[in-house]
Amino acid sequence: MANDAFKALAHPIRRDIVQRLADGSATVGEATRNLGVSKPTLSRHLKVLEEAGVVVRMIDGRTHRLSLDMEPLEEAETWLARQRAHWARVLDVVEEYLQEQREGRP
Amino acid sequence: VSDRVRMERTFQASAQEVFDAWTSVEVLKRWWHAEHEWETPHAEVDLRLGGAIRLIMRNPEDGAEYGGRGEFVTIEAPRRLVFTWGWDYEDESKRQLIEVELIEHGDSTTVVLTHSGLPATETDEYVDGWQKSLDNLEAALGS
Repeated sequence: MANDAFKALAHPIRRDIVQRLADGSATVGEATRNLGVSKPTLSRHLKVLEEAGVVVRMIDGRTHRLSLDMEPLEEAETWLARQRAHWARVLDVVEEYLQEQREGRP
Repeated sequence: VSDRVRMERTFQASAQEVFDAWTSVEVLKRWWHAEHEWETPHAEVDLRLGGAIRLIMRNPEDGAEYGGRGEFVTIEAPRRLVFTWGWDYEDESKRQLIEVELIEHGDSTTVVLTHSGLPATETDEYVDGWQKSLDNLEAALGS
C-alpha cells in the first residue's frame, strides 16, 4: 500500500491535485483546473490517484466529488518515519564508534 | 525543452494493413484510446487532403468523453499520413501535428510516430498514452 502512495505522489500534477484536496473535497473541475495539461491526461492522473486509494470519488448525479483518503498517505509517512528512525540509529552507532576512536578506547 | 514525442513500434502486418488501421473508422474505434480499458465510441474519417479525422475517446468508468479532431495534410498510402490534431475544448491556436510513417520490411511494418506541438510539460503523458494506444493497435491487428 505504501508503494501505491509513493507512486501516486511521484508526479507533480498528482501532487498538485493532492494539495488542492488537502483543504477539503472538491469537484473534478475544481481539483484539476489550470494544471496546464489536457483533460484526457488529467483523467489518467486521477485514475492513478484513485487506484492508489489516495483519492476517493463520490458520485452525486452528474457531479463527481473528490476527496483525500489519508490512510495510504499515513502508511507512506509511517514507512518514511521507520527509515528515518533506522538511519538515526545507524548514525548513532557511527558516532559512538568515532567517539571511541577519538578517546583511544578499545 | 521539446514539444514533440517520437516513437517507433513494429507490427506483424503489411504497411497497407497498418495504414488502413489508421484510416478505417471501424479499426480506429478498436484501438485509438489512451488507456487500455477506454473505448472509442465514435470515429470519422474523410480521407482526402483537408478532409477531417475525428474521434471520441471515452472512459467507461466515469463516462467522461474526450473528443479530438484534425485535418489531413499528407496522404501517401501506404507510406505516410500526416494530420493536424487538437482536443475539442481547445481553440485552433493549439493545433498539434501527428505524422505517421510506415516502413515495411518483410512481413512486418515499423510505424514511426511523431506528435508535435504538445505542451512541453505533457510530453511524458503523451508517450504513455500513445504506448497504450499502440498496444491496442497491436491487439487489433493481431486478431
